[in-house]
Amino acid sequence: MNSDYKNLIENALLKNPKFYKEIRIEENISTRIQYKGKTRENISISSNVGGCTRALVNGGWGFSSFNDITKAPNRMSESIELAKFNNNNYKHSKNLSDTKLSIPPTIKKDPRKIKLSEKIDLLENYKNLILSEKNIQGCDIVYADIDKKIIFADSNGNEIQQEFVHVICRIAANSSDGNEILESGFSIGSLGDFGIVEKLEDEVIQSAKKAVSLIKAPKITGEKTTVILDQILAGVFVHEAFGHLSEADNVYENNRLKEILKLGKKFGNRDLNITDGAKIPDLRGSYAFDDEGTPSSITPLIREGVLVGRLHSKETAEKMSEKPTGNARAISYGFSPIVRMTNTIIENGENSKEELFEDTKDGLYVKNWYGGMTEHEMFTFASAETYKIKNGKITETVRPVKLSGNLFETLKNIDGIANDLEINQGGGCGKGGQSPLPVSNGSPHIRINKTLVSPG
Amino acid sequence: MEKIIEFLNKNFDEFELYEEDSEYKDVTFESNKLKELSSKQSNGIGVRAIKNAEMTFASTSNYKFIEFKKIINELKKFSIKTKVKFPELKESKQVKIYSEDTYNLSNEYMIEVIDKSIKKVTKSLPNVLCDATYSLGKSKARLQNSNNMDLKFLESAASFFISCQIINNNDMLNIWDGFSSVKQIDANKIDEIVNDMIKNLKIAQNLKEPPTSKCPVIFTPGGLFQTLISPMLVSTNGTNLSKKLSPLYSKEGEKILDDKITLIDNPHIDFSPSSSMYDAEGIPTKRKKIFENGIFINGIYDLKSGSEAGTESTGSAQRSIHSLPSPGISNLIMEKGDIKFSDLVKNISEGIIVDELLGAGQGNELSGDFSANISLGYKIENGEIVGRIKDTMISGNCFKALEKIDHLSKDTKNLYGRIELPFLQTENIEITS
Repeated sequence: MNSDYKNLIENALLKNPKFYKEIRIEENISTRIQYKGKTRENISISSNVGGCTRALVNGGWGFSSFNDITKAPNRMSESIELAKFNNNNYKHSKNLSDTKLSIPPTIKKDPRKIKLSEKIDLLENYKNLILSEKNIQGCDIVYADIDKKIIFADSNGNEIQQEFVHVICRIAANSSDGNEILESGFSIGSLGDFGIVEKLEDEVIQSAKKAVSLIKAPKITGEKTTVILDQILAGVFVHEAFGHLSEADNVYENNRLKEILKLGKKFGNRDLNITDGAKIPDLRGSYAFDDEGTPSSITPLIREGVLVGRLHSKETAEKMSEKPTGNARAISYGFSPIVRMTNTIIENGENSKEELFEDTKDGLYVKNWYGGMTEHEMFTFASAETYKIKNGKITETVRPVKLSGNLFETLKNIDGIANDLEINQGGGCGKGGQSPLPVSNGSPHIRINKTLVSPG
Repeated sequence: MEKIIEFLNKNFDEFELYEEDSEYKDVTFESNKLKELSSKQSNGIGVRAIKNAEMTFASTSNYKFIEFKKIINELKKFSIKTKVKFPELKESKQVKIYSEDTYNLSNEYMIEVIDKSIKKVTKSLPNVLCDATYSLGKSKARLQNSNNMDLKFLESAASFFISCQIINNNDMLNIWDGFSSVKQIDANKIDEIVNDMIKNLKIAQNLKEPPTSKCPVIFTPGGLFQTLISPMLVSTNGTNLSKKLSPLYSKEGEKILDDKITLIDNPHIDFSPSSSMYDAEGIPTKRKKIFENGIFINGIYDLKSGSEAGTESTGSAQRSIHSLPSPGISNLIMEKGDIKFSDLVKNISEGIIVDELLGAGQGNELSGDFSANISLGYKIENGEIVGRIKDTMISGNCFKALEKIDHLSKDTKNLYGRIELPFLQTENIEITS
């Protein structure tokens, strides 16, 4: 560790020994390349140093964040003073003490070692491929890589240094027929692998062709119908439909919700198994320790349709007398850690994808994502591609749709789970003003009955 | 900072340096209880520099000159063709966007405001759980460019947010509201938010079946903004217009919407947190009509999109340290109608009110399409609001929906301290349940 940081951290943690205190210091550097319309819009590099201190006094938190890290010890004093306004009876127990670790980043093909010129050439080629298609009005390409070093230290003697290298990229084409403009594209991401951005020529051309053909496709009429979700959209579905309500910070101070989300309660059919875990290696939601210094884990959330676990910070776990799961995450030094998902997965079922289609008389095949939102038991998610299914066969391409559901009905309406699990790493999650947090979602193809669908 | 300026002067034809230093403090309650107090400080610089009509952009919150210089030199090799020229300072209208007292409000004061509000809600409805935040901010920014501009901005803001939840069996009802101001938020405004909240929570606990056929829809000011105005603002945005990625491209002067619709962007409202004298590129801001009696007047441009569209900046650039400027609206005002909201309701035998949406804005926004779950909506039966509808979706296209509308109300609501809209009634909307 940089010796300047070491002194600052030590000095900060020396403040008022009566209270639990923690400090994070972060250094990051990110490269961003953007194209919009027909031109390159932005190539920029942004470098940052910042930190935050947090203290627990009278059962509640005081938090301070800053860019001027030389003031870290003063900021810790401020956090303690702020926390004194609280008036609760919560105490933090020690999970770990005196753990000193430095964890290197997961790297496959290091984006930091790729020349800027090489990154630009690659994207420039994708842009040209899109623009060379007929009836294309423009492209929308965003590439970013970020290298982030975080030191976490607390008054229990823990000092954990972690480094993450993320690569994300969205490539989309915009078509126009003179009246309407339509976008079609895809998003990808990785932990430490620039390779995911390479050799995308086919996907890029396909996106441009889809944008052009979709603009001619009809819109559906809103209805309740059977839908088959591909792996990507089913991943977004599990994140929105169930993942957010498994975050214990919604539940731990809410007695009604505690009853509704009681462990042991049935939420789905016997073949439904849902898991979240940062300990699953090498995915965008993977890490060894969360932002409270708790080791990551793999948490079964639903087993055979029954609720068996939830995601916790130290505080929510303690208040609910459950085990901490290492899901307290902050998007940067500017924020307090809150309970978040990591890598959220619907486990493989026993059907084949073909079987799901075979006995679907009338329905929609929805693929790829455009977004998703949750508000308590309600959720929506948007497809990027949609096809009509008649008697087990895809018959027609229609415009993307928006799907909506309700936790208490929709999970029970899943009546088929295939065995072709795939993980999507192109998304980010937003909660409490912290967005986009790196997460991944995974699922096999699934079929859901009676889903509310409206034209996108 | 002198070193950076010297370096930019030597190596570029033109440059611009944007510095920002902000402080925030806030108090957060969760489930009716005080949870966290926080203070945040952030600062950094963003640099745009032009050589041979090519632009380079970099930003940092890490003032190591040598490292920053190295980054700029590396980026300069890949600079991007631009028509932007950094402006010289021109006169602008005085607008009040700072109040010394705002940031001096105490933590005790913020705690008391929230505590009183929550007690008022729970006194009337004991089974409600409230989350609430009061936050204060002050920010100093400085914009310098090689055309002798040296502008200093000083801003303050206070904001209050409350969200209330009631759970009955498997039904979770959630209503939120909030307000922002340059000054301390008026106690009457907070009372109004809390009283409306209590009234709406009471009505919303009755669940009603959504209508089965096409019926009149009233959008509340909040519902109107989320459903129809947000996608509209994507199309009036100068970046999309300059790239021909807007259905409004080259339609200035054409009748697009219903006669009743006039939309104004007004950055000159004193004490609104979205007001300013100059935009983030140093261009004087101005009050401007986006639509007048349904006719598209002009888009919202910054220097880049304005120069690429062959027009001028409308003084609408917004930025943060780590992003390039981009055009955006300040205070948005829609001209009101002449019927009271309560009279609109009285005249409807079966209809719905749309107040909040879930999942809006995630679809084909470039064409003005919208599609969302109505996360808070009410049923009207025989001229009265009788309860809440749920598991219902709404979809359509904002241009088609606003082509012909039935009514705009006389009463308006100010959303978040920056958007003033009336209630809007139409029948031109698809509903699915």
